[in-house]
This record gives sequence, structure tokens and C-alpha cells, in this order.
Amino acid sequence: MDELSPLRLFIMRSAFVALALLILFFHLLPIDTQPVTLFAPELLPPLEQIDPAEARLRALLDQGTNRHLVGPDLLIAFAFAWSLRRPEYVPTLLLAVVFLMSDLMLQRPPGLWALLALLACENLKGRSRILRDSTFGAEWVAVAILLTGILLANRIVLFIMLVPAPQLRLGLLELGITVLIYPAVVFITRSVMGIRRAAPGELDALGGRA
Amino acid sequence: MAKDRSQPNEYTGPLRRLITAVLVVVLGAVFLLWRIDSPRVERFRAQVTDAVVPNLDWAMAPVTGAVNLLRDFQSYQRLSEQNQELRSELRRMQTWKEAALQLEQENARLLDLNNVRLDPRLTYVTGVVLADSGSPFRQSVLLNVGARDGVVEGWATMDGIGLVGRISGVGENTARVILLTDSSSRIPAVIQPSGQRAMISGDNSAAPPLDFLENPELVRPGDRVISSGDGGVFPAGLLIGQIAADPGGRLRVRLAADFERLEFLRVLRHHGTDTVINAPTIVSDAVPVAEERPVDVPAVTE
Repeated sequence: MDELSPLRLFIMRSAFVALALLILFFHLLPIDTQPVTLFAPELLPPLEQIDPAEARLRALLDQGTNRHLVGPDLLIAFAFAWSLRRPEYVPTLLLAVVFLMSDLMLQRPPGLWALLALLACENLKGRSRILRDSTFGAEWVAVAILLTGILLANRIVLFIMLVPAPQLRLGLLELGITVLIYPAVVFITRSVMGIRRAAPGELDALGGRA
Repeated sequence: MAKDRSQPNEYTGPLRRLITAVLVVVLGAVFLLWRIDSPRVERFRAQVTDAVVPNLDWAMAPVTGAVNLLRDFQSYQRLSEQNQELRSELRRMQTWKEAALQLEQENARLLDLNNVRLDPRLTYVTGVVLADSGSPFRQSVLLNVGARDGVVEGWATMDGIGLVGRISGVGENTARVILLTDSSSRIPAVIQPSGQRAMISGDNSAAPPLDFLENPELVRPGDRVISSGDGGVFPAGLLIGQIAADPGGRLRVRLAADFERLEFLRVLRHHGTDTVINAPTIVSDAVPVAEERPVDVPAVTE
């Protein structure tokens, strides 16, 4: 019965906030100060031809730390994984505050991404009982569809509101990487954090309180 | 289990729907407010960042240090080879240094002869980079200097070599620098030696393209690009980079600043370019104006 106590509920909710803050913290570390080089055009003529000394200096200063790829959006992946497994650990208000905070810290238009992510999480919570009985594949597909939907809806709203939208190629890349990394996120959620789906006969966490 | 599904509990019930609806409305309102009154919301964002990020500094500094240490290990592999090359290069540089010193003295003498006064008000305050934008879509960094240090929105920011960006968003203890590479960055520039004026408009790539160039035929790859100071908020004469072209033929700027590692940045204090006032003082009395200042002298940053 330890699983169902209000104390555990509180601890797990705090754990989600801590996880979100940790992800934001690593996003904000000042180590990615250059643009992603994947789609960067090659510049002509090469620097060696115009200015050999400058080229030499750059080669010496080059740390081999070019930023080739974007990282996955771990925050939303974890929010999805938790919403599907234990909706009571990620209440709506908590999700809204966390997403709005991430909007503010990561220089996105505040509110829009938070709104879409919240709607997606609520959708998954509503489906958690159906998806509980099906395989992981179904869950993965649902998550991929929702992530794509968020991306599209975000762009459409920004377009309507005449706000310059972020680069589509980068967005698609981030989407693909997030979808690919999702099984790993679920694995960590299950095995390391111990967030599993409630077994069919089990009461959910609030059941103990009610 | 069948009972579970049919019975509305707190997660599917009307209360939850109500909470969700209220939150959706609130978040939508925040977005609309940002769209309508962007400066106010951005100020709020700067305040939130100002409250949060400096408090994380104790944790951020060691982690950043550790990450940089790991990165350095990669370059240790070619250390001895590099060392050899550098030694031989250093010998050649010694002769260049002598030449540079002589030129510097000559330059100082000539400046003195011509009575050139460099802008004394162009001083700088150096800040440490606390955080980056945190997202691959935006290119900005957060400095640990802010309104407390007199930093004002619009001031130019440099690393040791070239222009890095412009201050946009000032909190009490922090200031955000929109980098030249950000897609919202627009910097007026002039291309030497042809004197063509253009706009450097960032597009989230490492080499921002040139816009509004009058006569591209006069511009050749390798030409220097410096800030023009048009518009008055930005000092003139700061090195930005060199002209290059992409395979599509579009002219881009190979930036001089080292964006791979931004650690310390200089914020140049700039109090606006003086306007020339056409008062008839010269006609009315023959005494030249004592307060006269050079208006468009290329600013020297050191």
C-alpha cells in the first residue's frame, strides 16, 4: 500500500519537476553557442586561398566540437511517457507550469508550445487505459503522431499570427530524433524511475486517498 | 476493470476537463498577450531568466567546465604534432611582431600629427557567458552583466576579435545577447574597400547572408565587413568578418568571432552618434566651437 500514499504522490510529482529542471539546466549550459552545421552551406572560395594565416589560426583554434545535430526534446518525451503510465504523477497544472517555464527559458513564444504540449499530454492520459492493454508499438505510433501534430499546429498558428516560424528542417530533425529516442526514454522511465503502468486490478494512486 | 473504464474517475471526469480548459485558455491568453504586447512579455521573460539563471551558476560553472575538459581531451591527441608546428611558426611570427611594432609607432605618430581624437567614450564592460539559448532554433547567450552595470539594450557585443551580437533584453543582473547568427538579427554593415553598404541578416547558420547590397559586382570574396553604425544605436568600425559566397552564389559573411567558444564577451558602451547641428555660430562669432567632436571617426575598440 506504500505505492498509494499521498506522500509517494507528492514525491513523484516533485521528481517530475526535478527532472524537468535538470533537462532545462542541461539545455541552458553555455556549450552550444554555434548554429547546427548540418544544413550549413559550404563557403567559397575556401579560406586557405584568401587568407592562409587566418585559416591556420582557425584550424589551431578548432576544437573539433562542431555542432552537427540537434538533440531530442527530452522534456516532452518524458512528459508523454509519464502521462501514459501514471497520469496521477503529472497533473495538468504541473504540466502547464513546467511547459510554460520551458517556453520562457528556451526563448520560444511563451504559451503556444506549452498549450499544444499540454493538450497532447491530456490526450495521452485519456488514452492511457486503452493503450495499457496494447503493445509498445501502438504507444510509439500514438506518440509519433502527436509530436508531428504539435509541430504542424505550432507552425500553423505561428503562420496565422505572422510570427516567423523556426526552421522547418531543424524542427523535422528534432522530431525524428525525439521519436527515435522515445523507446529509450520509456525504458529509463520504467527501469530507473520505476514508473510502470498500474496493473489492471490495482487502484490508482488517488484510489487510496478517495 | 470493466468498472474502472465505465466509472468516471478524477482523470476523465468533468473536474479534470474544467481544469484543462482553464489552463488552455490561460496559456492561449499568454501567447496572445505576447503577440500583442511583445516588449512587456519579453521583459517578464528577462526578469524570470534573471531570477533563475544566476542562481544556477554554482552548478552550471562546474558542469560547463567538465564538458569543456572532456572536449579538450579530443584535441590532446594531436598535441605533440601541433606543438612542433607552433614552434616553427612562432619563429616566423617574431619577425612579424617587430614589423607590427614599428608600424604601430608610425601609426601613433601620424595620428598625433593629424590631431585625430579617438572616441573616448567607447569603453567596454566584460561579461561572462552564463547560458545559451537552450534551443537549436535560437542563437543567443546570456551574460552576467545587466542593468546594474549600466548595460543598455542595443549595445554591441564583441569577443576579442570581432562582433558577436547585440544586447536585446536586459535584466537586473543579466543581459541577453542576440548573436549575429540568430534569424532575428539584422546588423547594418559596410564592406571594405568598396564602401558598399549592406545588411547582415542572420539565418540560423554559421555564415549569415548579406541583404540589400547595392552593387554585388564591386564586392569580392575576402573583403572585410565592418559595422557601419547606420541607425545610430551601434558603433561604427567593428570588425564583423570576411565576404564569402555559398555554392548558390549568394554572398555570406565568414564571421571573425569564434562562435565555437563564447566565454567572455565585451559589451561596448555606446551613447549614440552625435548629430551635426547647423547652428550659425561660425558666422556670428569667429571663435571655433570648443565642444566640437569628430562625428564619424572609425571607432577603435581597444
